[in-house]
Amino acid sequence: MKSMIALIKREYLEHRGAFLYAPIGLLAIFTLAIASALAFNKVRLPYEVGIPSALKFYELAFAFAGGLWFVYLMVALFFYYADAFSADRRNNAMFFWKSMPVTDFKVLSSKMLAGMTVFPALIFIALLATGMVLYFHTMLALVVMPRLVVPGILDVIWSSLRIGFFGLVYLALALLWYAPFYAWVGALSTVFRRWSIPLALLVPGLIGLLENLFFSDTGPGAGHFLGFLRQRADFSLDRRDIQAAFMSDQPVDIGILLNSLVGGIDWVQLAGGLIFAALAVYAASEYRRRVIST
Amino acid sequence: MSETAQRPAPIVSARGLRKHFGRTEILHGLEFDIPAGRIYGLVGHNGAGKTTTLNALLGLTSYEGTVRVLGKDPYRKRAELMENVAFISDVASLPRFLRVRELFALVSNIHPKFDQGKARAFLEGTDVRMEARIKHLSKGMIAQLHLAVVMAIDARLLVLDEPTLGLDITYRKRFYRRLLEDYMTGERTLLITTHQVDEIEFMLSDIMFIRDGDLVLHMRMETVSTKYAQLLVDPANVAAARALGPIYAETRFGQTAMVFDGVDRERLEALGAVSTPTLSDLFVALMQRTPGAGERR
Repeated sequence: MKSMIALIKREYLEHRGAFLYAPIGLLAIFTLAIASALAFNKVRLPYEVGIPSALKFYELAFAFAGGLWFVYLMVALFFYYADAFSADRRNNAMFFWKSMPVTDFKVLSSKMLAGMTVFPALIFIALLATGMVLYFHTMLALVVMPRLVVPGILDVIWSSLRIGFFGLVYLALALLWYAPFYAWVGALSTVFRRWSIPLALLVPGLIGLLENLFFSDTGPGAGHFLGFLRQRADFSLDRRDIQAAFMSDQPVDIGILLNSLVGGIDWVQLAGGLIFAALAVYAASEYRRRVIST
Repeated sequence: MSETAQRPAPIVSARGLRKHFGRTEILHGLEFDIPAGRIYGLVGHNGAGKTTTLNALLGLTSYEGTVRVLGKDPYRKRAELMENVAFISDVASLPRFLRVRELFALVSNIHPKFDQGKARAFLEGTDVRMEARIKHLSKGMIAQLHLAVVMAIDARLLVLDEPTLGLDITYRKRFYRRLLEDYMTGERTLLITTHQVDEIEFMLSDIMFIRDGDLVLHMRMETVSTKYAQLLVDPANVAAARALGPIYAETRFGQTAMVFDGVDRERLEALGAVSTPTLSDLFVALMQRTPGAGERR
């Protein structure tokens, strides 16, 4: 366990640029941009947008920021896995790692786990920091939207906690849902290094194409295989549930969102995906054990 | 008590060690034992199979035959083995994204036999600072750091594959001195390869020459001096010396030097000045080869 934690920390040290420094930079730029817009009175919000309270304004902004951070995390993780599984080859460092008493499976598992735990946690912290920034911006926004009522700090904290909790659950389940895709990219990276980036999409595309070539018109839409991938790529909530949770005078009802999320997941698919992910990491570790390439 | 019970098990044992790259055989059935507490030199030309042999011993590559290191199959049990084996590969580099302090902390948590205090002590008197990033260190400093890491591991077998490649003479001398003074004990075994054989000759207890995937010499250093002799032949005695069957002969500045294997020194002394060949002389004598001779299909 001690060595696994050390290896995960190593991943953090090697890849913190994308998950710590870049989010800090983005947040700083966002803060400055909004602050300058408010300071120089560039904000032109028509009252007709129908925002009933400053708290609702904050909730919508916070949830929207959560969505943006989620997209950022998913993209960053794709590039992380495409790099991390072959990063030990860089500068011939592979021989150093091979001189340590840890198995290749443990090393690759630590990379997989780092992408599923530490880096999402950092982005979640970035979301919470964004919430604080948004609160101050909400306060400033009231200067240009004087009809809105100033929200109490406790209301804002309560809203942040509820939306944050939902965000955390959504993030955890989304990571489990997409884990096989990331493991696939990582396994490809072990063999093909950064060529795994196009190959991760090209290989499934070719399989779908071959299916259409040899079994034309027998599958739904673009074929069974691509149809399955399309279904696996979708982890969105029902639009009506989102509207019901957000579009009211009341604070966001995360109960609706949680029910929609949990009820919409195909748990058998999720479990199958995790098994695929474990097998992909194992296959990659066997390749790494057998092939010393620097 | 039986003979096997009296003799301690070797640290390394290879039987019929073969390695193929594609259809080409690189190692041709090597057989050797390395006992504990010895300092072995493994010497050979570029492409002779030194690194492939070491990689097989370290579990870094597959092979045919039987190899046991500390009683374990290295290819199947590499991770377990590395608790008692430390190595520096010829092309190895430390992870460049870490600081020295971070590297020590990391290895402390991964390797149960790494002593961070020792590693720090080994770095005292060098220019390597704990806060320095490895990518900012010079090649010599990285080698010093790597050696400090390896020497701070309480391993039973240390394998060094061209550890001083590309370093200047001053550093190379310091490197080997520290290795002998600070690391080697009776319980530890050292296996080292280098092209600069003269620099490690003083510290070796045993020597192995590998040529084109075959072991052509494997003996204790003291045996080398009794088995082999170098003769600077008096010009009048060249024909007589040739009649004794030298394994190697060359003419330098008008004087003929010959290397003999197993010829009585008293007979040689009658023909000129006799000395023990240096390892590099012996290397030249024994390692004459035809390019591509080691590749078998």
